[in-house]
Amino acid sequence: MEIDTETVLKIARLSRIRINEGESADIQKDLNRIVEFVKKLGEINIDGIDEFNFGKTNIEDMRKDSVTIYDNTDDILKNTKNKNQDFFTVPKIVE
Amino acid sequence: MNGVKLTQLGIKDSRDLLNKKEISATELTNAYIQNIEESSKLNAFIETTFDKALTQASKADKIIGTDSQKSLCGIPLGIKDLFCCKNVKTQAASDILENFIPPYESTVTQKLWSEQAIMLGKLNMDEFAMGSSNETSTYGPVINPWKSTSSDDSLTPGGSSGGSSAAVAANLCTGATGTDTGGSIRQPASFTGTVGLKPTYGRCSRWGIIAFASSFDQAGPITKNVTDSAIMLKAMSGFDPLDSTSAKIDVPDYEQELGKDIKGLRVGLAKEYSLQNGDSEATKKLEESIKILKNMGAEIVEVSLPHTEFALPTYYVLAPAEASSNLARYDGVRYGHRAKLDTNDSILELYEKTRSEGFGTEVKRRILIGTYVLSSGYYDAYYKRAQKVRSLIKNDFDEVFKKVDIILTPTTPTSAFPLGSKGTQDPVEMYMNDIFTVPANLAGLPALSLPVGLDELGLPLGVQLIGNNWQEPLLLNTAFNLENTLAFENNPKKWWA
Repeated sequence: MEIDTETVLKIARLSRIRINEGESADIQKDLNRIVEFVKKLGEINIDGIDEFNFGKTNIEDMRKDSVTIYDNTDDILKNTKNKNQDFFTVPKIVE
Repeated sequence: MNGVKLTQLGIKDSRDLLNKKEISATELTNAYIQNIEESSKLNAFIETTFDKALTQASKADKIIGTDSQKSLCGIPLGIKDLFCCKNVKTQAASDILENFIPPYESTVTQKLWSEQAIMLGKLNMDEFAMGSSNETSTYGPVINPWKSTSSDDSLTPGGSSGGSSAAVAANLCTGATGTDTGGSIRQPASFTGTVGLKPTYGRCSRWGIIAFASSFDQAGPITKNVTDSAIMLKAMSGFDPLDSTSAKIDVPDYEQELGKDIKGLRVGLAKEYSLQNGDSEATKKLEESIKILKNMGAEIVEVSLPHTEFALPTYYVLAPAEASSNLARYDGVRYGHRAKLDTNDSILELYEKTRSEGFGTEVKRRILIGTYVLSSGYYDAYYKRAQKVRSLIKNDFDEVFKKVDIILTPTTPTSAFPLGSKGTQDPVEMYMNDIFTVPANLAGLPALSLPVGLDELGLPLGVQLIGNNWQEPLLLNTAFNLENTLAFENNPKKWWA
């Protein structure tokens, strides 16, 4: 199996998803199943092939780098209880 | 009304009656509200906006017949929960967006409201559009209005736009928005006897649509018929400065393209898209479609898309990779769910606990696999390789479209299956459902699913038409010609009310 228990915990940490001991084995099994499935890509010769992009015809010009004023801070703050004046609050980061 | 109920009409027919003042928008809206109120067993609508709908309807009634009237004036629609609608709860069917009220409107829905359409509410879906059966929704699965003639099992309406497909099939709205990342419009359309169109990548703005895999995601309509699809697509399409991948290409009047002769149309049949059971009703219906096209003067050409077998593995590297990045924003800080913390918990615990509680199993699985294929040491072997294979898949289509104008395939390997019957032991079993739909997303091409009839179990079957970039007019016109001859009637027995 390509993904061992340690790797599961490592990618969970990178993903900022806490995994309980009870679910770790199932997750490991599912991830290995998916990895086994996508390993088929190893059968193909990709020498000299460029990575996919939509090309110039589809991607349009960037918009102008100009300031637009966004003034409905109140509506945005309505989505949280964790606020102080116009700021979101989080656990203490710096001692 | 000659025995036909108002809510069976769809967009074009409702528009015609509204224009003739034979019905009012308020009357039409009330008829849909009544249907929705009777449809709780289907679990299609997860948030209703009836007050807003009736206000919009009353406005529409004053506008109809005046110079201010727009293309969708007075037409009641359902909206997939992936579209942010200002001041309407929008959760992408996920707990992590618990009670999220967007302070802005998605471009696509804004366009619909600017065309004076009426909003009935938000439609159920797989969590963050990740699923093929609607079973990953935090609201529980939508139930397909269609039932097999041989059992009373509840069937999936498909996914991820299962609320949209079920609502249209059950006459809960004239049409609905969907989104399609790997088949999420076409597969549900196929399972419910509706018409589902995934436009060319860049046709509809993605701004305000909750992102899953940004290089695949496209919005599109799910409707009762092809004409309605053409009408709705026109309203949804167009350049948007807020989405740098939306195209500065004029939007044609798709409805005007319908009814044209298809004599000389070159239709490709790809050998890699064959159904396993050659004697099945699904195969017969596909053959019948081919025969109809031939009789209309189309030329049938055998073609090959040799890298098709690599499409699903490519998709299941790239889509989770993009998802792991897109879903990094759900951290519990600014909106949605925030985990209860212990006294000494740091911001790391805030992130980890919130995400662990807020995301469902399939979403977590995809974030983890996406993080893995992007992680140091594995990036080249998986992500970079898959991006190259994606080029090969696109090249296959480029070659085929030198020989044909359109490709005809089945939409799905089977008709709708019972809820709980797939993917419970093996996630890949569910992924296999998208085998015929994923390639169009990888290549960014437009594709449409059209109902062609019923299978042995009395369940709808769809065929898929894939076109080259910006060939929506050709897709719609070919489907329109087929639809006229097939005369499929979407009338599931009304067991839910």
